[in-house]
Amino acid sequence: MDFPPGDFLILGCVCPLVIVTPEVSMGRYVIRRILQAIPLLLLVSIFMFALIHLMPGGPDQVIFNPHLSAAARAQMRVRFGLDDPVPIQYLKWLRNALTGDFGFSFTTNLPVLTVLGQRFPATLELFGSALIFALIFAILLGVVAGVRQRSITDYTLTTVSYFGISMPVFLFALFGQYIFAVALHWLPASGITSVGYTLAPFDAFVDGVWHLILPMMVLSILFIAAWSRYLRSTMIDVVKQDYMRTARAKGVSPLGVLMRHAMRNALIPLVTVVTLDFGSIAGGAVITETIFSWPGMGQLFYQSLEARDYPILLAMLTLSAFFVVAFNLLADILYGVLDPRIRYA
Amino acid sequence: MDVSEQLSLSSFDEEIEPFLAETSELVQKRRSQGRIIFDRFMRNYTAVGGAAFLILLFIFCFVGPYIWHVNPNTVNVLHVKETLANPSLTHPFGTDDVGRDQLARAMAGGQVSLIVGLLSMLIGIGIGTLIGALAGFYGGWIDNVLMRITDVVLAVPLYLLLFVLSAAFSDGKPQTVILIIAFFSWTYAARLIRGEFLALKEREFVMAARTIGANNFRLMFRHILPNAAGPIIVNATLLVGANIITESVLSYFGFGVQPPNASWGTMIATGDSFFDVDPWLVFISGLLIFATVLSFNLMGDGLRDALDPYMTER
Amino acid sequence: MGEYLLEVQDLKTYFKVKAGRVRAVDGVSFSVRSGERVGLVGESGCGKSVTALSIMRLLPKPAGEQAGGSILFEDEDLLSMPESNMRQIRGGKIGMIFQDPMTCLNPTMTVGKQISEALRIHLKLSNEGAKARAISLLDQVGIPAAHERISSFPHQFSGGMRQRVMIAMALACNPKLLVADEPTTALDVTVQAQILELINGVCHDFGTAVIMITHDLGVVAGMTDRVVVMYAGKVMETAPTEEIFANPLHPYTLGLLASVPRLDAVRQEQLKTIEGAPPDLLKPPPGCPFMPRCAFARAICKTMPPLTAVSGSMQHQKACWIDVTDPSQQAYAERRRQARAASQQAALAAFAETTTQSGDQATVPDDAEHAEKEG
Repeated sequence: MDFPPGDFLILGCVCPLVIVTPEVSMGRYVIRRILQAIPLLLLVSIFMFALIHLMPGGPDQVIFNPHLSAAARAQMRVRFGLDDPVPIQYLKWLRNALTGDFGFSFTTNLPVLTVLGQRFPATLELFGSALIFALIFAILLGVVAGVRQRSITDYTLTTVSYFGISMPVFLFALFGQYIFAVALHWLPASGITSVGYTLAPFDAFVDGVWHLILPMMVLSILFIAAWSRYLRSTMIDVVKQDYMRTARAKGVSPLGVLMRHAMRNALIPLVTVVTLDFGSIAGGAVITETIFSWPGMGQLFYQSLEARDYPILLAMLTLSAFFVVAFNLLADILYGVLDPRIRYA
Repeated sequence: MDVSEQLSLSSFDEEIEPFLAETSELVQKRRSQGRIIFDRFMRNYTAVGGAAFLILLFIFCFVGPYIWHVNPNTVNVLHVKETLANPSLTHPFGTDDVGRDQLARAMAGGQVSLIVGLLSMLIGIGIGTLIGALAGFYGGWIDNVLMRITDVVLAVPLYLLLFVLSAAFSDGKPQTVILIIAFFSWTYAARLIRGEFLALKEREFVMAARTIGANNFRLMFRHILPNAAGPIIVNATLLVGANIITESVLSYFGFGVQPPNASWGTMIATGDSFFDVDPWLVFISGLLIFATVLSFNLMGDGLRDALDPYMTER
Repeated sequence: MGEYLLEVQDLKTYFKVKAGRVRAVDGVSFSVRSGERVGLVGESGCGKSVTALSIMRLLPKPAGEQAGGSILFEDEDLLSMPESNMRQIRGGKIGMIFQDPMTCLNPTMTVGKQISEALRIHLKLSNEGAKARAISLLDQVGIPAAHERISSFPHQFSGGMRQRVMIAMALACNPKLLVADEPTTALDVTVQAQILELINGVCHDFGTAVIMITHDLGVVAGMTDRVVVMYAGKVMETAPTEEIFANPLHPYTLGLLASVPRLDAVRQEQLKTIEGAPPDLLKPPPGCPFMPRCAFARAICKTMPPLTAVSGSMQHQKACWIDVTDPSQQAYAERRRQARAASQQAALAAFAETTTQSGDQATVPDDAEHAEKEG
């Protein structure tokens, strides 16, 4: 395979444009940010690639079965393209990656994307439900605590949030498992379904829900802790503002003041934070999934790490970086859209 | 006697300047700035509690072994009854599956966890301060380059990268773990300090220092940095807690500190397999981690409130 | 309804702070007739804003508390009314505009929505009806292209325009009374006149009574029918506007009027001030609060004088024992002033000596007479 230098020329021309494009309106701002993100992602992928290939025990060593003959080894090297110098390997990888071909998994020999695709729904189910659950709780707690300081809700929130940020997630998972699964027997300890049964659709659904509860709660505690704290401080700031007094002077009921005036202003910064946190979905909840044997992308990562399955690792690292950057951008855009001061600046 | 009569009766000399006697204390006692901050910190009971706990913890981990003379590594497999034991007088924290005394291990593990947390924080803050200061002070292309590097490191989710790195490089020794964790600790500090420098370098005192001939290096570290110290200290305190958590996660999954070196994370890893039989193993080290990180967080928040010049009276 | 639209009777509003209770309003009484324009004047911290907030029952909780008195609006006591009734009055019968229009409007809601909100609550208009009326209100307050501007956000207006929006919002439901808390203080001088004209015009057209709170005597002169002079939470003097400018009878009012520089004054003459500073409202001294600064003060002033009508005019009331028109009192006051000036010079000279001698950096206030009058 050869590389038309033209590819690089295009890239090389596009990147400087990033600095030159003036910031005039929202559309241009978005384009500018996207253009900035591209070199960032490239750098990230280069960084990851270099890391993996320069690691002791890198791809060279891993796939080699000691029982292979030298000739067979040479063949393997050719097959996996390990003879080329590392930069060329990178460029080949990049070229393929841009078309969606991330290579083949060392362990299962399936295309990487297929493997990822198999695992994604489980992660989405866990992560998505945890986010929604956390959002609801965080808003409730944060708003009430911010409006009524030093109330019971406020103290509950402070306690919960300190718990959430002071305990490692895996400890939560372990304690949760112990209390709810082992000691009380209320919930299943691990897995996404009960293994070894074929259940009727409704039963299967209920079974799935039971299995979802514990990992979802563990995962959401961290989010609840962080978001409710943030929302609480935002609410405290908002409640002090003058326009709240104006609203009351108009005769708006306390509930109306809260919902229409306070929340509208307090939720905008929270949207940014939530979007940013959502961006870590591709990294999956490695720890939670591993402890609960949840067959999602996080568990895949851990297993691939043990097995030194580099194509998958590389693909996951790059894709998660992509998600993070994409959601960063989305957060910026959302903030601009929601806050009229920025939208019409 | 009505008003006008009263007035005409009194003479000028009788009228005294009213309230002359009560002059208020006009010269205020000035407290030094450090004292003000200290007083504000002390008013925050949870923060003081956290700090007190940490002091006790340090004494426990570093002075404790001189009082509790039990070797954390002595294995006692012969007497099976004494393995996986519950807390008792001979073994206040119980024993693990090979009969090692958990109290001694908690102290030894604590030493490792605390040192890892602190040193990785120091290195991380050091690097972060340097990068942030350079980026914020010089601006321009230096700023651009440094921030791009920061963005790259930040773009990948933390644990993924940590796992990969420690799977590759970790040899189970705390020193490597310190370096690995420090590798990721600097990004937030760098951003923070860059922001502070950007704001502070426009202030008049910088201009004044320049006019008396201070060179850039002096400006950055003798003049601007002390003024940015507040957020740095807060961030540093919170970072120790975060690093301790990170270390325990790594050790639990087998990537960080590994046996024979002990840390609270490895203790949990060992205890995990026996969770249903002897939950004490996990509980004790888990609670220690939790309490330590909680104390660092409370102290960090207390410091933030104490250093915040705009905090209103609560 | 009785003679008055609004009757404030012996209003007391205190604030709880760590050190005790700040007596922001300590026995204020005045009344407003239907359609009348009353000016509430005083220096910063005299309690005029707090009076306004007390009328609307918008005091910051939990610090603010109503410690006594009553406020009769259309013969009902606002202070003892249940909150739900009060909400109907706020915005519906009494409107309020505040000092800083930038922070007083919700930045994330369009101007039209903010005005319609009041209309929907009090007049129960539909969305379209509220929007139509909002457009016509914006028109009335002088905002061009009202039908377009209705969907603009507050930050897209200039300061004067924002205040017009506030006025439209406050008057949307045709209230009987408008409380204006320093509406022009945050605006450019050129815009101030326009806004005042606007308030004047609109309130005249709708028969709205106005309580105009200000520290600017110029505003008072042009905009009010009657003036209430406040100091340290108490009313010092009240009279029809012309009367109070022509014939001020309270030493404080005298001081206020004298401190306004005149165009026909002798050049390079020293500006006249009222010496001293307002008292500490945490522990106010007994008696007349102005006593420490008053040149006419006598021993009798240690008892607070009641607000009594001046002979010859029921409309004009003052809270003072002294008759400032009496030449002997004026002579006394003059001697007092000279004695004070002399001791002030002496104190300054003594202070200058001590600082040059010892080179110390003690923190003593600039104004040495603080030491004499504080308490």
